[in-house]
Parts: sequence; structure tokens; C-alpha cells
Amino acid sequence: MGGEGKPVMLVGIDDSDHSYYALEWTLQHFFAPGQPQQYHLVLLTAKAPASAVIGIAGLGTAELLPTLELDLKRSSTRVIEKAKEMCSKVIDASYEVLEGDARNILCEAVDKHHADVLVVGSHGYGAWKRVVLGSVSDYCSHHAHCTVMIVKRPKHKTHN
Amino acid sequence: MEGKSATASGEAGAVVAGMKVVVAVDASEESLNALTWALDSVIAPRSGAGVSVVVVHAQPGPDHFVYPVAAHGIAITYSPTSAIESMRKAQEEISRKVSATGAIVEGDAKEAICQAVEEMHADLLILGSRGLGKIKRAFLGSVSDYLVHHACCPVLVVKPTKAHDK
Repeated sequence: MGGEGKPVMLVGIDDSDHSYYALEWTLQHFFAPGQPQQYHLVLLTAKAPASAVIGIAGLGTAELLPTLELDLKRSSTRVIEKAKEMCSKVIDASYEVLEGDARNILCEAVDKHHADVLVVGSHGYGAWKRVVLGSVSDYCSHHAHCTVMIVKRPKHKTHN
Repeated sequence: MEGKSATASGEAGAVVAGMKVVVAVDASEESLNALTWALDSVIAPRSGAGVSVVVVHAQPGPDHFVYPVAAHGIAITYSPTSAIESMRKAQEEISRKVSATGAIVEGDAKEAICQAVEEMHADLLILGSRGLGKIKRAFLGSVSDYLVHHACCPVLVVKPTKAHDK
């Protein structure tokens, strides 16, 4: 349970449509205005360290690091600003930017906040980590120490 | 979908009326924990706002018979033993005055649940998780993995609480 007595719902977001969709869905279904707020909402975005993004790429990449670092910082700031806008009606909310790998950050944050629920979008967390689609949501659904809700856009398969 | 709309005045994030929640259960303790969690955390807080619950049990066997359930007057097609047990426990949990129906789907659990979710136009699918290690998960946890990727709606995987984590 969260420190203030309310259970904590932690939403992991990045700068992608899937993420914003997940946040919007969560707000509509769990933080509707006019209903008593059931959870304390924590919004968390991970900022990948520039060095992790570039990897070991040989000579000359060191010069790119400051630019990339700035870019990543701007991106995570933008995410939080947009999240604040979307969550403007939510009374009990907090926002964090943490540096590191999204998967680890989210799972550690669950422990730190004693979150009851972790919410992630799918195909969304970390534009740089699309090697395996949905790998962050997969990782979190197996490793987070709390209930995990994975929100993705509805898709309607046509069965015949 | 029935349900009362709340008095949201048209801002972004207006209340969604009549949320339809599907909870997939099998005979396991974990899935019944998931159902309890779902009832406490998702359904009870919305009992005034038109939430509806469908409890789905995926049963592979072909033989079944009809068994009327007195508490809610729901007639469900049952399979022997494990399905009956889990549905009975589920009914006990549900007997908290929520609008609930039960359904048994046959065939391969993951595909059957997936299809049921689509046909029912579920807003949310709730499952338990066995909290198995990596190897067992390769064989037994595949249902929740499959559903996370293929269900047409958001999926919520309930973890066993620490008390059950052995």
C-alpha cells in the first residue's frame, strides 16, 4: 500500500503514441473525474543513458554523446510535461524521470513505491528498444512484484 | 452495453460507463486470487457505475452437462470436477451483488479466451499469474503470455500476493 494510505498505481510511459494511449485509457477507466480517486498515481518515464543507446560504436561516437544526451533529456521532459497535461484532473499524482533501462527502472520503482499495479503500454516503452516488440511489457509482466496491466490499442481480428 | 454515465462534463478523460470486465479462471488458486483481486480492486469500487463481470473458464474436455447455479440463476454448461470446483469458488466470490455471468469455453485455453474476449467486447481481461520460474513458464505460463499479446483489449495480470508466494 502507498505511504499515504492509498494504493499506488504506477504508469510507465515514454514518448510514443502507444504510451499516451495507455495513459489515456488508464485515466478514463481508473481516474475518472467525479469518482473518488482509488489509487495514488505515479507517472514514470525512463531516460536511457546516451551511452547505452549508442553502444560501443567505435571512433567518433564520443562527439555524438552530448547531442544525444540533450535529445534524450528533452524527450523525457516532453513526456512528463504531456503527462502532466493529461493528468491535470488527477488530484493525487506524482511524476518521475529516472535514468536507466526502462525494464529495471519500472520494476525497481514498483518495489520502491510498494505499488499495487504497474501499467505499461505495449510496443511503446523505449523507442530505442524495439528489438523485440513489447519486450518491456513482457519483462515487467514477469518480473514486477505486483499486478501488471498492459494496455494496448484494441485490435479486432476478423475470424471467419 | 448498459450502464449509467457519470456526470462528467465533457472534458478529456470522461467516465466510461459500463465497463465490461472478463476474468479468466481455471482450477488454480492463482486464478481465484486474481478473481478476488479483481472484485476488490476493480469491480467493487465501480458497483454504482454499471460494471459487468464475466467469469470465463477455459475447459479443454468435450464432456459437459448443464448445472443450474441457484445463487444467481445462471445456468452454465459445466465440465466435471475441476471446472465445477473453480466455478463454485468463483460464485462464492461473486456473491457480492455484482452483475456477473459465467461462461465455459472449450478448446485450447488461450485461443478460446482470446476469442471470447473479442466476442464479448470486453474492456479489460484479468488473469492470474502462476509466478513460475522461467522453465515452467515456457510450458505453463504461455496462456497469460499469449493473451497479453493477442487479446484485443488491455490485459491485467494479477500477481500472487506475498502470502501466497511459496
